[in-house]
Amino acid sequence: MEHIPLLQIEDLRTYFYSSAKQAFIRSVDGVDLTIEQGSTLGIVGESGSGKSITMLSTMGLISANPGVLTGKVLLNQKGNPVNLLEGLEQYVELEHNSGKILKLSKDNRAWKKQQEKNMATVRGKQISMIFQNPKAAMNPYETIGKQISEMIKLHTEIKDNNSAKEKAISWLERVKIDSPGMRFENYPHGLSGGMCQRAMIAMALSSEPSLLIADEPTTGLDATIQSKIVELLQELQTDLGITTILISHDISVITKLADSVAVMYGGKVLENGPAELVLKANEDASHPYTRALLASIPDLSNVDANGRLPAIPGEVLDTINLTQGCRFYARCEKFTTQCESKCKTQEPPLFRMDGKHHIRCWLFEKG
Amino acid sequence: MKTRYIQTTETIDEYSHLPLWKTCSKIDLIYIVYGLLVLATVLVSYGLGALNWLPSDPDSMDLENMMVAPLTSGYFLGTDYMGRDLLSRLIIGIQAYFVPGLLSIFISLSLGSIMGILSGYQGGRVESVVEYFSNLIDSFPRLVLILLFIAAFTPNIYIIMIVVGLTTAPVVAGLVRGKILFLKQRNFVESAIAMGLPTYQIILKHILWYNCRSILLIQATLGMAEAILIETSLSYLGFGVQEPVPSWGNMVQSGSNYLMQGNFWPSTAPALAILATVLGFHLLGDGLNNVLERKER
Repeated sequence: MEHIPLLQIEDLRTYFYSSAKQAFIRSVDGVDLTIEQGSTLGIVGESGSGKSITMLSTMGLISANPGVLTGKVLLNQKGNPVNLLEGLEQYVELEHNSGKILKLSKDNRAWKKQQEKNMATVRGKQISMIFQNPKAAMNPYETIGKQISEMIKLHTEIKDNNSAKEKAISWLERVKIDSPGMRFENYPHGLSGGMCQRAMIAMALSSEPSLLIADEPTTGLDATIQSKIVELLQELQTDLGITTILISHDISVITKLADSVAVMYGGKVLENGPAELVLKANEDASHPYTRALLASIPDLSNVDANGRLPAIPGEVLDTINLTQGCRFYARCEKFTTQCESKCKTQEPPLFRMDGKHHIRCWLFEKG
Repeated sequence: MKTRYIQTTETIDEYSHLPLWKTCSKIDLIYIVYGLLVLATVLVSYGLGALNWLPSDPDSMDLENMMVAPLTSGYFLGTDYMGRDLLSRLIIGIQAYFVPGLLSIFISLSLGSIMGILSGYQGGRVESVVEYFSNLIDSFPRLVLILLFIAAFTPNIYIIMIVVGLTTAPVVAGLVRGKILFLKQRNFVESAIAMGLPTYQIILKHILWYNCRSILLIQATLGMAEAILIETSLSYLGFGVQEPVPSWGNMVQSGSNYLMQGNFWPSTAPALAILATVLGFHLLGDGLNNVLERKER
């Protein structure tokens, strides 16, 4: 039998129109990702490299125009890959020529309608999402217990209030909230940020989804709480065997939790593969961007002779005016004279290193 | 062994499980209690009037006791120039605005919520249309509009209250819209969609019921105060409820002719009633606003 991964994203493109600049911002520009059942995928990259937009596109949460355009998001539903963007491409007309968009139009209303149809059984039931700011993501006027019970009643077999409440309390206990019976009655504003994130995780898991997307779950929390949340996620992973996509620019979080890592920059995946291979970053099998990212982690071993921490020069790629060559070329310090001409003019494909490790860089061209 | 989770670094708001009335300030509590007393008085009086349990018949003229002062000849508030019992007429006067006021509240709240949701949740072209419509209503002087309607139709209090309801709808719409935009910016709506909640449930339950119910309640109390003021001022001018049907407005008006002769009570009693009632509804709205809207912080 053919092996089917839980989620496979193929050539996903999400563009936005900036009326101020009269141009298209290409936030996600041809992303391919694969998530195996039971594993954890970490997505790293600087702010503005398209990590969150990729996941929001997957969940169908992009509302700005034109938004998601093309691509496939294949979700494994009982052995069959089902495309979550099924039948949507017919509403988009896109013509582009080597980085320049010639024509783009999208029937937003028909698109939305079709998308609601596709996503109806997926959101919450099969894919849950945790957001960055848990307090903002919860209804401020409803107790957390009620919000969790609502999810349970909506997505699981349990329909009556009392058993939903019991289940919600057991979930609150599971995410290690102290005296869950009492916290059940609390409003989000009555909880601290860390507890709120725990409640949010409980809410996301209470529908027993097959995939959990965590969009920077630890940002906005202080360091001690961050490590506790990471510990909790680690524990839940081993206990429940849940598949997780973890978006973060905090590499230490990714190192602790992820099995495989994808490094994103300028709306494209520059490197992906098993966590130990990608995050080891040895000279001969690592993308220059990954190396630069890892070198800029505040760590004693990274400080140079002058006592300074290396930073990546330049700014994050402006995805409006894309050059033809490699996206990282302008900030790259590692290119050699042999590959420079190619870096300038041609976009590198993903070169296969060993096993599942891929790198998008001309340095690793074979032959 | 039983496991216990102790989290020393994460704090909990100790007050959030206390009942609301224990955490709010005293002055708000006084406002609300006074407002509720006024509301209760109005409701009880309305019930008494509807059941016709009155001290005396409001329309029967006691020609031997015209213009008697309060607390004389068995009349608690005295009588007016035709010898009719003022207390009974005050109680019956509530009927002039109570049900029409509820109608106007109903119209303004339902229409306002629909407009607010359409413009806040939907956005885009719908928003501009609703905005345009709101501005159109807002820019037209309300009293002139009401007088226009009275001129076009008969001076019927229900028609007046429909106009009042329509013209207050933009205020409610603006508040609901603001709340939705606030929630959207906090990515609460987005997370609700991601959790797989159906759209109608997000709008009706989470936005309208949980987040807007206090706004709507406050607007309802203010709407009642507004309805009383509009009804009494129109009746005072002779455009609203017509004699011999009593209304607080036309009672003030008919009593005011005798004010200079020293018979102050026929117009003072309904005027004070208007003052106390409108003040009560306003303070109720104010107190509720402070207590319910502050809860979130």
